Amino acid sequence: MKVTFPHMGNAWIVIQALFNALDIEVVVPPQNSKRALDLGTKLSPESACLPFKINLGNYLEAAEQGADTIIITGGIGPCRFGYYGELERRLLCEAGYPYELVILEPPDGSMLGLARRIKYLAGKKNSWGRIIRAIGFAYRKSVVLDQIEDRVHKARPLLQGLMDVEKLYDEARQRLAQAMTDRSMADVLRWFGEQADIGLLMEDQKERPLRVGITGEIYTILDPFTSLDAEKTLGQLGVEVDRSIYLSGWVGQHVFQGLAGGYKPMKMYPKLAKPYLNHVVGGHGAETVGAAVKFAREGMDGIIQIFPLTCMPEIVAASILPKVQADYNIPVMTLVVDEQTGRAGMETRLEAFVDLLERQRLQGGIREDVFSNAGK
Amino acid sequence: MKLGFPRALHYYDYYPFWAGFFQGLGIELVLSPPSNRAIMETGLKKAHTETCMPIKLLVGHIASLKDMDGVFLPRMVSVQEKTYLCPKMLGLPESVLSAVPEGMPVYSVTINQRLGAQKVYRALEGLAKELGKSRADVKKAYMTGQNWQKLFEEQRLAGKDFQAVIKALGQQSKGPEPVPVPGSGEPSAAGPSVVEQPVIKKDKPYIALLGHSYLVNEHFANHNLLKRLREKAYVRLIEEIGPEQAESQLSGLDKPLFWSHAQKIYGAGGVYADHPQVDGLIYLSCFGCGSDSMTQELVASRARVAHKPYMVLTIDEHTGEAGLITRIEAFLDMIERRISSESNLSAHG
Repeated sequence: MKVTFPHMGNAWIVIQALFNALDIEVVVPPQNSKRALDLGTKLSPESACLPFKINLGNYLEAAEQGADTIIITGGIGPCRFGYYGELERRLLCEAGYPYELVILEPPDGSMLGLARRIKYLAGKKNSWGRIIRAIGFAYRKSVVLDQIEDRVHKARPLLQGLMDVEKLYDEARQRLAQAMTDRSMADVLRWFGEQADIGLLMEDQKERPLRVGITGEIYTILDPFTSLDAEKTLGQLGVEVDRSIYLSGWVGQHVFQGLAGGYKPMKMYPKLAKPYLNHVVGGHGAETVGAAVKFAREGMDGIIQIFPLTCMPEIVAASILPKVQADYNIPVMTLVVDEQTGRAGMETRLEAFVDLLERQRLQGGIREDVFSNAGK
Repeated sequence: MKLGFPRALHYYDYYPFWAGFFQGLGIELVLSPPSNRAIMETGLKKAHTETCMPIKLLVGHIASLKDMDGVFLPRMVSVQEKTYLCPKMLGLPESVLSAVPEGMPVYSVTINQRLGAQKVYRALEGLAKELGKSRADVKKAYMTGQNWQKLFEEQRLAGKDFQAVIKALGQQSKGPEPVPVPGSGEPSAAGPSVVEQPVIKKDKPYIALLGHSYLVNEHFANHNLLKRLREKAYVRLIEEIGPEQAESQLSGLDKPLFWSHAQKIYGAGGVYADHPQVDGLIYLSCFGCGSDSMTQELVASRARVAHKPYMVLTIDEHTGEAGLITRIEAFLDMIERRISSESNLSAHG
């Protein structure tokens, strides 16, 4: 049994850690790329959303390396992601890849359900104790990963021209992937902190960098290939970003049913969204609205929502964000991506948005209602 | 008291319940005008550019309401246990509030069968209280609503045309008068039901038209597709397959579909795909429909297994009549040729 999984940003580091700790043979698919997208698109329904197409590409590429089992989270709707696993399995089977599918489904999507599915994969080699410890370790790794991502967000605008931030980030991730103990993970964090001493760098700044909150569909905002490196581009434009969703927060909320908070918890989002959207709509639609409110209250200079074409819950959120924009007087830009989206288009829009925020700040920090086409 | 109800989306599936419910409460439920160019254009202007055409149309209908004491926009989360409706429906009314005419109060209620019938009833009591009605009123209203909805579904199951059924309900109850659809004809023009008459004399091909009822019966937006098809073929719809029959198809899925409308479409699609008298399946969808993107693939697979001609028609607000007609004609031509020149074995061997 060779297990593979869908790529989503840096999540592979955490998933790989889980399987390594249990001696389960894991195939990490090649990083998301145009090849994966092309392969996946050919096999996918035309109107499937972008993450579906990329993931299918991941499985096809992993099959080339001998993977025969897929592990994926499930769902009961109303977002269509809950049906991904089943549809992907059928399409792969019809195309000649008879993958076995192991889905983490609610209410099985709880810790107990996760542990049971892992036990199935881990077989007789692993006791329950070992499985629980492995899950705990993987979770703690996701917290460290998020801390690194957070520091990268802060470091990018400050280190432009002084240091190759991306190279540093790559190395931090490599080191973290290899860290097998809590001690070594703490070492990675400390090392990274020394390399990019945020506190020291802030002292040299005349004014704080612009701050933008990124909110939207989880896959799109966590995966740089899918968002066409929106975070990196913003960082290079001198902007400090924050995201509505971080991996450990999502794991804490969905896998541990809120018992763990993760590095940046998601618990408060539905409450913040309430005046604007008083019900779950599936996916992270309500969380997107709640996070936008949080960002506005924290004094962010602007908010960007990113989601894949036709994403239903995010479309609901997008219809509601103009009200948040109006109430808090904060610029909100919505970007929709699909397999045709070009990098240049993304960069142009981000540059324009940042220009706007800079001009707004020059005008004395009073947010004018600069977006006349909001919500109309 | 007059409450406006948009003649879109939920109208096609649940209007009889709401009409009966409000009739029982002594409140007049007034429909927006039938879809037209102006309503569509208003919808396109006011709705979010990314949303699907049925929602854009809904927005246009909401904005067209005039002289009402309020507008009724229910949040329909689930109508069947263990299922949901579309996420965009869960996002009502908040996502369309900007379309409500200035100063018009919005009344809403959350209908969620996942929480059980008791909770749904309590929610309706809450709505009634807001409207100044008593709990006794709610009981009567709930029964009326249920009866009307049941009658509506039975009539649809028997193959009666949507507008004809709505009109009949209206006349029976002296409720609101819907506008009859031009040229929809008598119910019998739809052709005999596959369920009742397994062996049918074939002077025209027999087509199953699958898809959301708010697309199939929305004659303005779908360029009178149903009438056009009925000129050349017998057309059967998903409402004409009973729940038990549809459900028996679902056991073929390894994972249950968690949208009730998808279950209905896939279930009916499966029954029609297997039926020897059905010559072809058409799936009417719209651009951007999330649940259809999954259901389509499953129905396509069923059609392949059954060697049944299958076509997907994806429409949106830009769809031109000519393109739609061309595709229908080509599909029907193919079916006629298949009947006359080929045996029952698929040309693929």
